Amino acid sequence: MTGRTDRSPEAGTVVLMIGNPNVGKSALFNRMTGANAVVSNYPGTTVDFTSGTFIEGGHTYTIIDVPGTYSLEPRDAAEEVAVRMLRDYPEATVMIVLDATKTDRGLYVALEVMERGMPCIVAVNMMDAAHEKKITVDIAGLQRILGVPVVSTTATSGEGVRDLAEMLRKAQVADIGAIAQRLRGEEPEHESVRTCGGCGGCGGC
Amino acid sequence: MQIKLSDLPYGERAVVREIRTPAHDLNCLGLRIGKELKMITKQPIKGPVVVLLGELEIAMGLETAEQIVVETGTDA
Repeated sequence: MTGRTDRSPEAGTVVLMIGNPNVGKSALFNRMTGANAVVSNYPGTTVDFTSGTFIEGGHTYTIIDVPGTYSLEPRDAAEEVAVRMLRDYPEATVMIVLDATKTDRGLYVALEVMERGMPCIVAVNMMDAAHEKKITVDIAGLQRILGVPVVSTTATSGEGVRDLAEMLRKAQVADIGAIAQRLRGEEPEHESVRTCGGCGGCGGC
Repeated sequence: MQIKLSDLPYGERAVVREIRTPAHDLNCLGLRIGKELKMITKQPIKGPVVVLLGELEIAMGLETAEQIVVETGTDA
């Protein structure tokens, strides 16, 4: 279904999927909702948004597949849609989708989203492609630095998608200052009580 | 040696040292200062250039490439 999303309480938590073009957001969306959004191996396939619902642990999530964007300073119509969605759903949880083979590029928009103070969860997608290219992603390390749950997924095979759905309820607001401190090798003075040591096994307990 | 990216020969590697155009558009595509890149396509008649950064291919206009300073002959 496309168009304006239901905002009634029954719609549950709104989850916005944000990420660069061609990182598998629509494939992940289809896996999670059983929908049939158009997926192709070209950036910019999603230019309008698509939404669907799923229920996990008795909680309803309305998930919105947002067009891919490289940043929150829009340069084309599809990127404007992405920015407008973030503005229109200030209470939403944001699922940031990264391409495991190009994590650093995806982290640019990820940090821009985190600056907005919305609860976030990160999905490192296309892990199969990363394995093929012998690229490893330090999921636990990324989670420790960002202070939000990070889950590895392969949308095409469904690997990790269940974990991602379960982890949605643990989405957290990132602390940009603390991230900067951790990157400098300092530990923030007031570590969030909800942030674990970053073993990667639980997604932030 | 520091040269403009637009002058980097085909197939050569270099490290980005300076971005003289508003850097936001390039940064969000993954092109940042300190990144190593490789020139993989140069089009004739002032056409776009394509560089490879790790797994990423980035195409840009020649005018943009002229605003990027890269250093050749480094192992960084």
